[in-house]
Amino acid sequence: MNAHPTREEDFDLYALGALEGDEKLAIESHVTSCATCTEKLAAARGRIALLALAAPPVAPSAAVKQRLMQQVRADAERSPAAASAPPRAPQETERAGGFFGRWWAAVLVPAGAVLALATILLWTENRQLDRQLAALRAAAEQQQQQLQEVREVADMIESHDTVTVSLAQQPGMPAGAAHVMYNAKMGMLMFDGEIAPAPAAKSYQLWLVPADGKPISAGVFNPVSGRTDHWMMKLPQGIAAKEFAVSLEPTGGMPQPTGPMVLVGHA
Amino acid sequence: MSADTGTERRASDAELIERIVQRDQTALAALYDRYAGMLSSVLNRILRDTQAAEEILQDIFFQLWSAPSRFDATRGSLPAWLMVIARNRAISRLRRHNPAAGDELLETTVVSTFNIETAASQQQLLGLVKGALENLPAEQRAAVELAFFEGLTHSEIAKRTGDPLGTVKTRLRSAIETLKRNLHSAAASTT
Repeated sequence: MNAHPTREEDFDLYALGALEGDEKLAIESHVTSCATCTEKLAAARGRIALLALAAPPVAPSAAVKQRLMQQVRADAERSPAAASAPPRAPQETERAGGFFGRWWAAVLVPAGAVLALATILLWTENRQLDRQLAALRAAAEQQQQQLQEVREVADMIESHDTVTVSLAQQPGMPAGAAHVMYNAKMGMLMFDGEIAPAPAAKSYQLWLVPADGKPISAGVFNPVSGRTDHWMMKLPQGIAAKEFAVSLEPTGGMPQPTGPMVLVGHA
Repeated sequence: MSADTGTERRASDAELIERIVQRDQTALAALYDRYAGMLSSVLNRILRDTQAAEEILQDIFFQLWSAPSRFDATRGSLPAWLMVIARNRAISRLRRHNPAAGDELLETTVVSTFNIETAASQQQLLGLVKGALENLPAEQRAAVELAFFEGLTHSEIAKRTGDPLGTVKTRLRSAIETLKRNLHSAAASTT
């Protein structure tokens, strides 16, 4: 059995269908042999299913129920007839087939069973191969995308239009420091920083404060003690930055800053 | 056939499933009345095709009639299970996957701590879910909607929005953390 998923949200992300490649396979192979994680996945499916309630209400036409109930009645009429069919007497077969009937049956029944077993095995193997192929395709696509991102980062670092801004700790705020690399023409931003973990029910949020207009969210994060946070973010192109700031917000972040500024740096 | 009686309205999902096992057609009609609207909404939101949505809706309830024991009422929530199946079927259809792939979910257990069995509780939960989604930053909400209603994976969302894969992963994870916390605290405050 492979290791338990390290974060509870992995089950929700799996239920949402967002995971792919190795991340998806890791959950699938783990839950087959872990009852605790199977239960966690069932609960995650229940949570994610609730998002369906956000769909705008659309009532089905009355004809759907009529068709369904017709289908059900037809099925109910068919089923009892099949169930009440009298069993065939064993001697009937013997009379019809005699010695040759028994001989053929002795050959064909085991052969049929072997064929059925082989078909099931082949079908199972085929499904496994299909899954592996899909996982490999997803992994290849993911690698290609990561390669593209590496190229973009390299272009950004080489570009003369890229500015680096140091963000400094504000008085009375949690300890931390960070750097932001920003290229307005490319609309790309890279954050690299280390801050003390956020208090309970809070997250940090990075903001690009434009020379003109409202602050733009550039990432929400929850640092782990002793670990550097690092990410790249694409923003609308051509926005001149006046400063960058990290604020303390309710968990998950806010559309606009509401909490105190923890780190600030002028572009 | 009408399921609109006081007895049907009061019966729990587990009782109605048990009666379907006994081939009681009025029990199926009662469950249809209870959940068809909710399923129709999500099917239409995903497919944006009324005819296709109605075909799947009918098929889901006919499967419930054909094999009611596949749902274990002692281990899961029927409406949440139906919503998972509906979403899976619709996304399979949308992405032109083999519709039979949805059958895998028929064996899946879906547990929900929320009561979704009555129209009133569905309405109350609807408010909670919409509120929780609306409170997310716009880019997080968009990522959740692309994953849930269009069935896109991390890398497909990144390709669609033009954002880096790492950014999309961070956004979705943050969104999930927030949604979980907000839904549970909102549910706790209303009980």
